[in-house]
Amino acid sequence: MPEDIIDLIRESVIQGRVTKDDEGLDEDMVGQPGMSELIEEALISGVDAQDIINQGLTAAMKIVGKRFEAEEYYIPDMLASAEAVGVAMEILEPELTRSGVKPKGKIIIATVKGDLHDIGKNIVSILLRGAGYIVKDLGNDIETKDIVKAVKKEKPEFLGLSALLTSTMVNMEDTIKALTESGLRDKVKIVIGGAPVSEEYAESIGADGYGADGFQAVAVVEALNSGTTGNK
Amino acid sequence: MLAVSSQINIDRQQILSHIGYGDEYEPSARITSLVNDYIENYHDLIAPSYSYTFRDIEWIKGNRISIGDSIILRSKVIARLLERCEIIAVFALTIGNHLEDMVTHLAENSLVLQATVLDAIGSGAAEKLASHIEDKIKRIANAGELMTSRRFSPGYCDWEVSQQKMVFDALNGDAAGIHLTESLLMMPRKSVSGIIGIGLPNKDIENYNPCPTCKKKECPGRR
Repeated sequence: MPEDIIDLIRESVIQGRVTKDDEGLDEDMVGQPGMSELIEEALISGVDAQDIINQGLTAAMKIVGKRFEAEEYYIPDMLASAEAVGVAMEILEPELTRSGVKPKGKIIIATVKGDLHDIGKNIVSILLRGAGYIVKDLGNDIETKDIVKAVKKEKPEFLGLSALLTSTMVNMEDTIKALTESGLRDKVKIVIGGAPVSEEYAESIGADGYGADGFQAVAVVEALNSGTTGNK
Repeated sequence: MLAVSSQINIDRQQILSHIGYGDEYEPSARITSLVNDYIENYHDLIAPSYSYTFRDIEWIKGNRISIGDSIILRSKVIARLLERCEIIAVFALTIGNHLEDMVTHLAENSLVLQATVLDAIGSGAAEKLASHIEDKIKRIANAGELMTSRRFSPGYCDWEVSQQKMVFDALNGDAAGIHLTESLLMMPRKSVSGIIGIGLPNKDIENYNPCPTCKKKECPGRR
């Protein structure tokens, strides 16, 4: 039954299991089908890819988000879940393209020039992938001109900028200025994040949003995507 | 100088706390098996090396401390400590590039959970190596009937990260293979640099701690 397999897919996200060889949140789960096996099985049985995403993956990530907020899940638990979603999306992508389903949007993400920290950025990347966005991760210590070049070439709807240091967060402002000078600022929504920045800082440099953690970053992107928020 | 990687024994609890677990919450079976796996195998990924030197404190004026060769450290907190010291030890250490390359590789392949756990193991190993070097310097000081302070790194308290350059200058070009980027961050990333004050036993420097009177109550480095 399709509902049964969607239940199992949801549970696989909650358990943070990618393959049958993985342990889960609970013990003794090795051997039971994980995300990749379940998605393959669902597609063979003719379950609609969009249903897998909406009722399986997105619904499960909402539960994970709530548990994270309630401090029942810690960062690694959340990452395990997001990773399971990422694997599912990879398998589903060709199927979605075939059936003409468009991704929610494209996001370029980068840690700004001078900053070598990328764990936070990586967490946001995987959560955004899990939420159905195409993410192009430029990496860390990225020159402002290269970010501008990527925005020009890839034409993303969103740009995510990350910095962990007070000495490098100023490069976020430089990036926004450079995008304005290149005439690209109005073509992309910019969301920033990282330990030294805040909502006030985002506003002061002319960003469109600020995410305090991975889930908030996704929520801000979702809200900007539906046109319900933004500080610009 | 190279250190033996098997001497750097990180503890599981420290890694769990690095990745966000408090004392009261036992990690899931999946996270436990991942952390255990990496703890068992990380020694092959680290190549610890370190360098340290001792310098005289020439003078202290306000927040400026001269340690010779036109090297001036600037920090009120460090100046208060060094007012009680005779000399300082300056050190730099790293666990090398290999673990970090593996973290990047994992992250690039969307294995962010694995990357995060391995990154925490790298931080834990660098911290353990720092404690190891701290003990070494302490033993040398104690042999000369001197005491040592806690270690301080640029970025702690009011000592700015940009002062990293002074620490590296003080090491006379021998910084354990670590180099500074344009924005004065250390490469490899899993590196620690800093100073330790050394002084007479009656100056009580081993207990010098600016934290209890500091207003930054949320500071992650609070001791």
